[in-house]
Amino acid sequence: MMLSLYKKEIRSYYTSPFAYVIAALFMLVFTVTFFSNLANLEGTEYRFSFPNIFYNNFFYFIFLIPALTMRIFADERKSGTEVLLMTSPLNVFQIVTAKFLAVSTVFLMMLVLTLFFPLLTLLTGQVMWSSLICGYLGFFLWGLVCIAIGMLMSSFTDSPIIAGILSEGAMIILLFIDNIKNSGFFQSLPKVAKIIGAFSTEERFINFSQGFFGFSDLVFFITTSLLFVGLTIISIEKRRWSRG
Amino acid sequence: MIEIKKLTKYYGKNAAVKNLNFTVNDNEILGFLGPNGAGKSTTMNIITGYLPSTSGTVVIEGLDIAEEPSKVKKMIGFLPEIPPVYMDMKVREYLMFCAGIKGIKGSQKSEQVEIAMDKLKIKEMEKRLIRNLSKGYRQRVGFAQAILGNPKYLILDEPTVGLDPSQVVEVRNLIKSLKKDHTIILSSHILAEIQAICERVVIISHGEIRAVDTIKNLEDSMGSALILNMRITGTKEKVTECIRNVKGVISVNDAAYEDDNTYTYKIEIDKDDVRKDIMAALIKNDFNIDEVSTEKPNLEEVFIKLTSQPPKKKGLKELVEEFESENYSSEEAISSEKEEK
Repeated sequence: MMLSLYKKEIRSYYTSPFAYVIAALFMLVFTVTFFSNLANLEGTEYRFSFPNIFYNNFFYFIFLIPALTMRIFADERKSGTEVLLMTSPLNVFQIVTAKFLAVSTVFLMMLVLTLFFPLLTLLTGQVMWSSLICGYLGFFLWGLVCIAIGMLMSSFTDSPIIAGILSEGAMIILLFIDNIKNSGFFQSLPKVAKIIGAFSTEERFINFSQGFFGFSDLVFFITTSLLFVGLTIISIEKRRWSRG
Repeated sequence: MIEIKKLTKYYGKNAAVKNLNFTVNDNEILGFLGPNGAGKSTTMNIITGYLPSTSGTVVIEGLDIAEEPSKVKKMIGFLPEIPPVYMDMKVREYLMFCAGIKGIKGSQKSEQVEIAMDKLKIKEMEKRLIRNLSKGYRQRVGFAQAILGNPKYLILDEPTVGLDPSQVVEVRNLIKSLKKDHTIILSSHILAEIQAICERVVIISHGEIRAVDTIKNLEDSMGSALILNMRITGTKEKVTECIRNVKGVISVNDAAYEDDNTYTYKIEIDKDDVRKDIMAALIKNDFNIDEVSTEKPNLEEVFIKLTSQPPKKKGLKELVEEFESENYSSEEAISSEKEEK
């Protein structure tokens, strides 16, 4: 039953031009940074370094994920198909999980497309494998957190646009959480800064991208995604109880 | 069997339905009748497990929907008010997906989808995008979804809305034919539809049950009263007054405009003889009687009579106030009793 929903979700991305546009943007951003990275080449041999590319892209990537997630629940509510899912034998946990896995899969497919560049590099240049694998893993995990947040935002409203805007807002907070922590105000409150720092995803991602596989970082990303998936389940259940 | 016991649902402080009690027997079509906003859809949403109730239970074949939602939902096919279709899917693809989430196993999926498409006559549309279908076809696709997997109970929320007259007849016949192996709850605000399909009706208004009975009993409940339809030429006020003065006239309603100074009056009388007296009185006063017809009160009259009564209680606040005042008055009564002693 969950598998049917999972398949339908994935199919819904690829039967509309939507996913292709996002994937194309994703690739475009990657390509541009890849070439600018090439152009700034020092020395004679190009080394594909994911951290560099990621760093130049961070800002763009983060804003593409809400485009994937904004419709997850908002659209179902808007078109009245939510009733179909909720009155099927599936429970809310299964519905949310199937949808989360489907978006994660779509995200993973996009990520797989970008492997084209390291493979291209492999022909004439050098790829740092440990850094690459860890980098991709970190990026994927970090994407899961963003997807879970986007999904939660989508469960709040029946307008995909509003869900998108809410998610973008959340992404900005996620992006600048380190800057907030390092701001003068919070530096004067080291305890608060430490708490804020605990939610920082960027630092943990950097660990990954430099080829350091940290078990605690892995656990952090997974538990954070699960937290937001859990919150989505609560949000949907709550809506069932509070209104029609 | 579906048993609905003391079902109550509040949206914030407003009660959508209050203390509903009724049962649906196996292999019957129960009509759920009420004006717009009476709480029909809310009740159906609770029965299907889409919404939780504030209090009270829905028990289907001995299983409580709140406790065993997955098992109960497998036994129910639901067609909501707005057909729950995905616009960017094709008809067949959509039905296959629905079969999937309903837990129908691989080999049976195709078969079930074919049966549903045949019953609803949408086979020729199977490769069309739902977005491109007319409202009537979307409604039928939604209906097909509900009967997938042959669920024992069918809950249909206004199934004929948006269909053209010939489709309405087809769908009604389909519902009647489904009665053999299904138990059906059908909501509607169209009386003719309920009369054509259902044996038993629940009339609901302002979230409260006004009647649960067979259509025949409800019609008989109006007693031996008759309704006269008279087209009379003359000043409306004077005609009404003249008729009212005749002994045996219960009420004069609905003076429908026909022409200048000509109206059709609906006159409720207690026995047939009164008709002659009315006519005699009218002729005596020089009013021109153009047409007279007699009818037995039908479901429409019963419906209007039952649903036009105002609700007894409005909201939680009032209920609490009433409860408090009852308590207060009983305490008061006790204390006054003591004083008397």
